[in-house]
Amino acid sequence: MLYQTTPAHEELRAKVRAFAEAEVKPIAFSLDKNNEFPRDAVRKMGELGLMGLPYETEYGGAGADVLSYAIAVEELARVDGGTGVILSAHTSLGTYPIAAFGNEEQKRKYLPDLCSGRKVGAFGLTEPNAGSDAGGTETTAEDRGDYYLLNGNKIFITNGGEADTYVVFAVTTPGIGTRGISALIVEKGWEGFTFGDHYDKMGIRSSATCELNFNNVKVPKENLLGKEGMGFKIAMSTLDGGRIGIAAQALGIAQGAYEAAVEYSKERVQFGRPICQQQAIAFKIADMATKLRCARFLVYSAAELKQAHAPYGMEAAMAKQYASDIALEVTNDAMQIFGGAGFMKGMEVERFYRDAKITTIYEGTNEIQRVVIAAHILGKAGKASSAPVQRQAETSIRKKILFKDGSAQDKVEALVAALKKDGHDFTVGIPADTPIVQAERVVSAGKGIGERGNMKLIEDLARAAGAAIGSSRPVAETLQYVPLNRYVGMSGQKFTGNLYIACGISGAVQHLKGIKDAAYVVAINNDPNAKIFKNCDYGIVGDVTEILPLLTAALDTGEKQPAPPMVKMKRVAPKKPYAPQKYYVCTGCGNEYDPLRGDPENEVKPGTAFKDIPAGWMCPHCGETPDGFIEIEV
Amino acid sequence: MNCYRKVTDDLYWVGGNDRRLALFENIHPLYHGVSYNAYVLLDEKTVLFDTADWAVGRQFIENVKAVLDGRPLDYLVINHVEPDHAATLEEILLRWPDVQMIMTAKAAMFLRNFGYTLNGDNIREVKEGDTASFGKHTVAFVMAPMVHWPEAMMTFDTTNGVLFSADAFGSFRSLDGKLFADEFDFDREWIDEARRYYTNIVGKYGPQVQAVLKKAAKVDIKYLCPLHGPVWRKDFGYILDKYQHWSTYTPEEKGVMIVYASMYGNTENTAELLAAKLAAKGVTNTRLYDVSSTHVSYLISDLFKYSHIVFASVTYNLGIFPPMHNFLADMKALNLQNRTCAIIENGSWAIQSGKLIKEALSGMKKMTVLGDDVSVTINSSCREQNVADVESLADALAADLSK
Repeated sequence: MLYQTTPAHEELRAKVRAFAEAEVKPIAFSLDKNNEFPRDAVRKMGELGLMGLPYETEYGGAGADVLSYAIAVEELARVDGGTGVILSAHTSLGTYPIAAFGNEEQKRKYLPDLCSGRKVGAFGLTEPNAGSDAGGTETTAEDRGDYYLLNGNKIFITNGGEADTYVVFAVTTPGIGTRGISALIVEKGWEGFTFGDHYDKMGIRSSATCELNFNNVKVPKENLLGKEGMGFKIAMSTLDGGRIGIAAQALGIAQGAYEAAVEYSKERVQFGRPICQQQAIAFKIADMATKLRCARFLVYSAAELKQAHAPYGMEAAMAKQYASDIALEVTNDAMQIFGGAGFMKGMEVERFYRDAKITTIYEGTNEIQRVVIAAHILGKAGKASSAPVQRQAETSIRKKILFKDGSAQDKVEALVAALKKDGHDFTVGIPADTPIVQAERVVSAGKGIGERGNMKLIEDLARAAGAAIGSSRPVAETLQYVPLNRYVGMSGQKFTGNLYIACGISGAVQHLKGIKDAAYVVAINNDPNAKIFKNCDYGIVGDVTEILPLLTAALDTGEKQPAPPMVKMKRVAPKKPYAPQKYYVCTGCGNEYDPLRGDPENEVKPGTAFKDIPAGWMCPHCGETPDGFIEIEV
Repeated sequence: MNCYRKVTDDLYWVGGNDRRLALFENIHPLYHGVSYNAYVLLDEKTVLFDTADWAVGRQFIENVKAVLDGRPLDYLVINHVEPDHAATLEEILLRWPDVQMIMTAKAAMFLRNFGYTLNGDNIREVKEGDTASFGKHTVAFVMAPMVHWPEAMMTFDTTNGVLFSADAFGSFRSLDGKLFADEFDFDREWIDEARRYYTNIVGKYGPQVQAVLKKAAKVDIKYLCPLHGPVWRKDFGYILDKYQHWSTYTPEEKGVMIVYASMYGNTENTAELLAAKLAAKGVTNTRLYDVSSTHVSYLISDLFKYSHIVFASVTYNLGIFPPMHNFLADMKALNLQNRTCAIIENGSWAIQSGKLIKEALSGMKKMTVLGDDVSVTINSSCREQNVADVESLADALAADLSK
């Protein structure tokens, strides 16, 4: 390690600093205030060659090193944390997976635009149930021959909505945990790919953050990064590098706050002299500078290791964790030095203080960083860590067929035909007040039903469908359209019958758990992104006031015959796809080496490929050497 | 009196049959005995391939002597040291102390661990591809580790195409005077016992068997001489196809095995109801077994044959009924995989067996649980409200079988 940057690095720093101070600093306050993405500045960053710093010139990159990239992020964050993370997310999250795992065609197609800044990149991993634990990923990419059918949603996505290219992680093989996750390149503008509203964040407000929604998005097969099942590896490797970017961002924010505080402490006079001459403040500044220097060395050293292709995962985690932890301390101290003045909106330190907090949270919380560091030192904790996470859709495996073609009437007819084909007999029915737990069919109202008068639509449909009436919890509890004993949900009544028609129900988890054992679920809702559509067998996107009367007419067979005792309809669940895995079998005793488990007793970490087993390792049962093992795929 | 048989020119079977042994390896019941095979080659030198179990020791020695007809024994090739084959080694050494022994290094080590005193000067340790010539006949040694012991090897006579295959291609049942597989109606009288032998003895080592089958595919085999059961000299395709299925854990047939654990007949009744409903739907390739009264070796054997299995088990001490638990443990131990399963659980207060069976299956490879969950839950006895569940399980099985 050099302990000093090179003149070339310092030239770059001067260039980025000049740009940041001229182009970003003057607007930073208004960006923050208005939650506004600095499109012009980002375009100029592209022109300056900052958007592809660490990538090969062959693909339009600047061919600079990782440290140059870290310095660029640091300098942008020094004036505006949000602009810093735009570059960081673009470079190390949006672009890196393509540069590192893309094939030649993918690199040729996407990298030049990304490296030149003509396009912005983003990364979609986090979901409502999958943050620190990517094994909980629920977004699915179903193999449909030429393409994957992508469904699900991602939350808290940096550059969301502003970016053109997204690397999205989705489950291609369900039921086997992280080994079933794959990475796909998804482009803005594809049918079914929409964005949620921008979050109203505490800090880094100039960076765009929103939800990504995928509703039957067709992703061509050629947009698969690496191989199927490699997604988790790609994500983890990307995050390793991304941590250097976030560490640099935290460093920059702290540096900005520190400089402002030093300046102010020289100007502010109390007790007859500048406060910097008061030991209380001078010591604070000394501590701030020391922390900054520590953080800077950690960040630069991790960048240097990455550049040298040396192992750097632990060092990047240390840099991210430490730089962000001290960013909170330094911005806090800076605000303290400013006193009441710093507490006012419009003051940089106030913004730095808010911007710093996210750096201990995203790209792996600092708790996860410590997990990573400890695992490098001590090995992964326990065998359980690699056990596949078993998760199911809230209402078990559903067909998820949406009727989209033609008029509302056509859609309703298609729905009724499908239901009849499945064996639902609408010439018979049950009373509308049949207890939910005993009901064979239920027509259920959610808040989407609207005003109380619309309950008539539910009553009519229930009569025509030979069903009892149910509701979501708010309809019974808050709106009080039906008695409390009619609401369906985990805390209410559980429906286990054959047909559940959800009208204007969005599909909160609580509700879905109450219809988990329903044989068939039909959803009618005007929000195509409603979660109920991911958990239904059949669905129609449309307004209840339009669809329900049509459905009522289509099912109406006049007076219903009393239904015979219910026979629970059961469908043959599709067999779970099985992702083959390699094992290594000892010819000395038949013992199997499972790379997912490793051999912790002999200090081989879980996840160690057989070829990477340390020299000198022998079969723990019989002492056979690794060349006495045969590879099998099961 | 000696009782040997000629296999082909220069080669004689000198083994013996044991119909008194109740439990093979002291675990697997035998109802039709077992043979211990050994072979003598008469060339410029004389060669004995393996010895035999102590139980047939006298017959074996008589047979060897008779075939040698006064000639000394020059070589002893030991393909497998398990005591049902190597037990009479010392009897050979007492009679022919100068015999040259050929075996793997591991085999020599194992024999010493079993307490035999071996003169190192008389042992030639061989590796994959080594050969030995006895005059007209030249043999090559083929390592077969973990089929089903680590020291095992096979010996291929390149002159006449005889493969001494050790325990591979072996079978339960005594030979009763016959020798060749084509002297029996093998597919009727023997296949079930051959399967029970393979699956319970070698079943765990499918990948290793695959490795040996790949080597065997490269040579022109004329005779297949195993250490138990008949010698193969024709219809190799038949037995190799069986080995291909077993060693890749591929079912031989689409069919349903229903194995029940029942204390007072209520789980049995449910299992029977399911079998009847399956038959009514035209699914008749079914087998119904009481896990308490069927030796687990038969269950394992049949499960290697059939594609689908239904576990019907009562809950016992908040766990799986012990014999059923033992069956599941044996399935796991023998590496059984790639089957479609369904679960019927029963219990009178806290029904646990279904969940626990599903957990046990999730620890095995490529097991699919039909319907992804417990198919039928019975509280003490199958009553009117359960019949629809049994019916839909039968439907699901029938639909899956017809895929």
